[in-house]
Amino acid sequence: MKIPECSTVQLVFDEDIGFLELNSPPSNTMTLEFFREFASLIEFMRDQQEFKALIISGHGRHFSAGADVPVLLKEILEKTETDKDGRLAGVPEFLSNNYKSLLMLESLNIPVISAIRGVCLGSALELALFSHFRLCGEEAVFGLPEASFNLVPGLGGIYKLCCISGQATALVRVLKGSTFTAEDALKYNIVDKIVPKKALMTSALAFAREVMQDFKVEKRRLYIKKYLS
Amino acid sequence: MEGRNVNVMETINKTSWEIRNDIGIITLDNPPENYLVQPDFVHIETLRKWTSYDYLKGILICGAGKHFSGGGKLENLFRMIRDKENINETISKGKAVLEHLENLDIPVVAAIQGICFGGGLEVALASHIRICSENALFAFPEINQGVMPGLGGTLRCPGKAGFAKTIKLILSGDMINAEDAQEMNLVDFIVSKQKVFDYSFNLLQKLTKDRPLPVINAVMKALKNARLLSIEDAMKEETRMFCELALAEAKRRNGLQENQA
Repeated sequence: MKIPECSTVQLVFDEDIGFLELNSPPSNTMTLEFFREFASLIEFMRDQQEFKALIISGHGRHFSAGADVPVLLKEILEKTETDKDGRLAGVPEFLSNNYKSLLMLESLNIPVISAIRGVCLGSALELALFSHFRLCGEEAVFGLPEASFNLVPGLGGIYKLCCISGQATALVRVLKGSTFTAEDALKYNIVDKIVPKKALMTSALAFAREVMQDFKVEKRRLYIKKYLS
Repeated sequence: MEGRNVNVMETINKTSWEIRNDIGIITLDNPPENYLVQPDFVHIETLRKWTSYDYLKGILICGAGKHFSGGGKLENLFRMIRDKENINETISKGKAVLEHLENLDIPVVAAIQGICFGGGLEVALASHIRICSENALFAFPEINQGVMPGLGGTLRCPGKAGFAKTIKLILSGDMINAEDAQEMNLVDFIVSKQKVFDYSFNLLQKLTKDRPLPVINAVMKALKNARLLSIEDAMKEETRMFCELALAEAKRRNGLQENQA
């Protein structure tokens, strides 16, 4: 077993549980390199049999402030094919790979738990929405701010939010673009439980141990009811 | 820039239309109960014309006076049922109107107070956001006449409330209040009686005022895709729309830089 070497995100194992940590402090911004490395780690996880759960978190005080937008825009401008009128002709591969790695994350047949502390914005919230369970610390801050800089969430975040929170909440949260609290996130079903900040990782780990014994993704709501309410 | 207004109100078929600050307002205008005269309470061609202004950023649907709508009036309903040759076409026209509203690329908000029954509830269910007053009442009373909701309510309601609650609502014909309606996800926000219109209008303004139309359109399309497409196709399309907006935004930022240089 050889874990791909990464600089912006770390995957370590404790017995049969994997810990994936976003690691570009202070705000764990998701750079182009991050998305490449993240994809390689999820692919690696897909091919492993001996692990029973995956916990995703951010290094330090925050989960992540989301994508590095200026760099992303620059890359899109360089890599995107346009027709003679300058209109979009094809989505660059690196961008399609990003949403595909979230689909791959979701289709892992072990429980994937996001443990969210501090800020969780934009693409980082999209990532969290594609995990099977979301726990957050008190005072965590959520948001999809893309619309406030003339963009929209583009990794399936609108789709997922609509499924999880309903159309009206998705519409309001995405168009407003403002941040919201852990309590609101709980109300919208965006998080399954709020725990004291300091107990976040131990809670996530305890939950992982409960749920990994007999994990079936279609029983998601049942596990939440049984272990998180 | 200030939003545009079309002050001349147009009323066709007991349905009125005006534009305030780039928000189109459709009023079911047949007080007191605002019965829908026929399933296509506004002709599809008229609705297409009303919603074709390219500066419109949202649509608000409300009822004139104290109520949203009591739905179809019983005698009209019976007349419609007796007219066997045309009943299919009449209902299809009504469905087309609701599909047009639901598939618009700008948000549609239903501001509901008082009664919201039958066809009225179906209009509300085709909207993207439902806001009601604390005294609002909801029901599918069709069963009492031996018929069922015919404008897509049987399809849209389970999407919000789930099958079990939908079946109960439709088969019992019972009335439910605002709180119960929110509990079963039929409405999204409850506000006090006096505030329904203002709250709904202000929410639409707040959501859309500072947002360029391409952003609003992309969000609405992504939500529509969530209703209609597989997860893979919906995500592919979401990334494509993101890319399109990002390309425009990157060019805009480059332009700003060049101007400064």
